[in-house]
Amino acid sequence: MAKLRTPIWESVKISLASLRANKLRSILTLIGVIIGVTSIIAMVSLISGFNKLVADQLATLGSTTFIVEKFGIIMSDDAWFNALKRKDLTLRDYQAIVEGCTECEEVALQMASNRKVKYGSEHFSRVPIVGITPNYMKVVALDDIVDKGQGRSITEFENDHRRQVVILGPEMAEKFFPKLDPIGKKVKIEGADFTVVGVPKKRGSFLGDNQDRFAAVPFTTYQKYFADKLEPWEGLQFYIKAKDYPSLERAQDQVRAILRARRHVPYHAKDDFGMYTAETLMDIFKQITAGISFTLVGIVSISLLVGGIVIMNIMLVSVTERTREIGVRKALGARRRSILVQFLVESVTLAAVGGVLGILLGIFLAKVISWTTPIPATIEPWSILAGLLVSTGVGVFFGVFPAAKAAKLDPIEALRHE
Amino acid sequence: MLISIRNLWKTYDMGQAVQVQALRGVDLDIERGEYIAIMGPSGSGKSTLMNLIGCLDTPTEGSYELNGRAVGQLSDDELAYIRNKEIGFVFQTFNLLARATALHNVELPLIYNGTPASERKKKAEQALAAVDLLPRMHHKPNELSGGERQRVAIARALVNTPSLLMADEPTGNLDTATGAEIMQLFSKLRKQGNTIILVTHEHDIAANAERIVHIRDGRIEKDERRAA
Repeated sequence: MAKLRTPIWESVKISLASLRANKLRSILTLIGVIIGVTSIIAMVSLISGFNKLVADQLATLGSTTFIVEKFGIIMSDDAWFNALKRKDLTLRDYQAIVEGCTECEEVALQMASNRKVKYGSEHFSRVPIVGITPNYMKVVALDDIVDKGQGRSITEFENDHRRQVVILGPEMAEKFFPKLDPIGKKVKIEGADFTVVGVPKKRGSFLGDNQDRFAAVPFTTYQKYFADKLEPWEGLQFYIKAKDYPSLERAQDQVRAILRARRHVPYHAKDDFGMYTAETLMDIFKQITAGISFTLVGIVSISLLVGGIVIMNIMLVSVTERTREIGVRKALGARRRSILVQFLVESVTLAAVGGVLGILLGIFLAKVISWTTPIPATIEPWSILAGLLVSTGVGVFFGVFPAAKAAKLDPIEALRHE
Repeated sequence: MLISIRNLWKTYDMGQAVQVQALRGVDLDIERGEYIAIMGPSGSGKSTLMNLIGCLDTPTEGSYELNGRAVGQLSDDELAYIRNKEIGFVFQTFNLLARATALHNVELPLIYNGTPASERKKKAEQALAAVDLLPRMHHKPNELSGGERQRVAIARALVNTPSLLMADEPTGNLDTATGAEIMQLFSKLRKQGNTIILVTHEHDIAANAERIVHIRDGRIEKDERRAA
C-alpha cells in the first residue's frame, strides 16, 4: 500500500497560522523561553566582552612584566589583617633589585595618591597623582599612548632634578584648555605649579575607573611634594620587566630571593610582599567569571525548564481545544504521523520563535548595558547558535508528549468531541 | 459491487464485563452509483454502521469489502489511506477548519495524500466550482451561510474523487429551504455517477434516495428499493 506523505512545510505553515491566530497566548507562553535565551545571549556577550576588555587592559602591562608591592592580591580578611603588619617596600629594596636581578630588563617605580588639580577657575578635586620613573612607560607599554597624544613623556633629567612637570590626563586637558595647546601650560597640584609636557590619547574607562583623569609626575618630584612624611614609602610599587617571556619566572625568582633576604623572611614562611603578573590577574578574573557563568547556567536551565513546561501545558490545552479538528483531519486521511508532526512542528515553531525573540532581546540588552555602563559586550556567534538549538530542543522535548497524545486520538471520539 | 458486507458484528466493551452489541450480523451490498439512505432511531446502530463503512472503525467480527479490498482488519494508518482515497465525508456540523479559507479547507484531503501545491489548488477550485462556490473561495467559514458551509464540506468530500460519499445528517443543522437545496445537490451528484450513503432519521430526507435501509437493534430491519 502506498504511504501517504505530508510535506513538513505544510505543518509549519499550519503551525505558524495557529500561532498568529493566538498572538497574545503565544507570547505569554514564550516568556520562559525568551527569558532563558535572553539570559544566555546577554550574559555570554557581557562576560566575553568583559573578558576581552580585561585581556586588552592587561595586555598594556605586557606579558613579561610583573608587579611587586606590599599587599599583592589578597583574597581573605585574615590574610589582609596579617598583611597589614608587613613592612613597606623601600627605595633600598628597589636598588637591591636593580643591582641583583640579572634577568630584569627594567625596574620602574610607581606611587600614587589623590590630590586636587587646578587651572584658573577650573579644578578637579580628587585626581590620582602618580609618581613614576621615566622607564615606567616602557614597562607598562604605554609608550604609544603618549606618542599618539600630544607632547612627550617624562625625561631622566626631569626625574633627577625633581622638575615640576606633569603628564596630564586627556579629560583634564580638555576641561582646562578646551581650544588651546595644553603643552607648556602651568597647572596647580596642591598649590604647586607644574608644567604640562604631555597629554596621552583617550583610553576611556575600565571597570568604572576613569583612565583619562590622572596626572603623572616624576617619581622624585612626587617624593618631595606628595609622599607621606611619616611613611614615605607607603604604596610603593615596583613594575619590573623581564628580559623576555622565558626569563619571566627566573626574574620573579631572583626578585623574590632578594626581597626575602633583605626582609629576613624565614625559610618556610610565605612571602611578606605581593607579586603578580598580568596572567595572574587574568586567571583570577577568569575564576570569577567562571563562577558567574556557572550560576547563570543554573538560572537559564530553570527558566528553560519552566518555559518548556508552559509550552507543554499550552500544547495540551491546544490538543484538547482542537480535538474535533484532529478528528476531522483524521477522517480526511491524516495519518498518526501527520498529526504528530503537525503538533511537534507547532511546539518547535513556538519555542524557536521564543528563541529568536530571546536572541534579539539578548543582543538588545547587551547593547543597552554596554552603552549605559562601562561594561562592554561582544556578541558571540556560538551563543546565538546555542540559543536557537536550546530553544528548539525545548520545543521537541516538551512537545513530544502533547503531540503523541493528539496522534493517538480515536477519530470517532474526536469527531464527537464538543 | 462497491460495498460487500457479510455478517458484520460490532461489540463495545463498556468495562466490568458489560458488553454492548451495536451491530449483530449485518449483511449489506451496495452497487456503484447507488443513492442509499440508512435510517434508524438513535441507538439502533446506524452510527456504528456508518463508522464502519466510513473506515473510521473496524468490526469485531465479519467481513467488509470496499471496492474489492477487505478493509475489516487494517491498521490505523491503512484506514487513514482508505478514508483519504475512497471516502468523502459530509457531517451534520460541517466540521470545517474555522481559521482556514474555503479553499484551504477543500485542499486538506489533498495535503494528506501529498498532491503538489499547484495541482491541489486547481483541483480544489474545480470542486468548489462544482458546488457553485468559486466566488467565495477566499472566505472563512464564519463568513459563509450554513448552506454555503455545507457546500464547502461537500466540495471537500468530493475533491479526491472518492468511490463513496458519506453524509451524516447533512441537513440536520440547516433550515428546510437550505436543506432542500443541499438535497438537490446530492441528486445532481448522484446523476453524475457518485455513490452516496445518506445517514438520517428524517423520512422526507431519506425519501430522496432510491433505496432505504432501516436499522433497528443492530440488525437490518427492512431494505426497500424504490424508483427514483
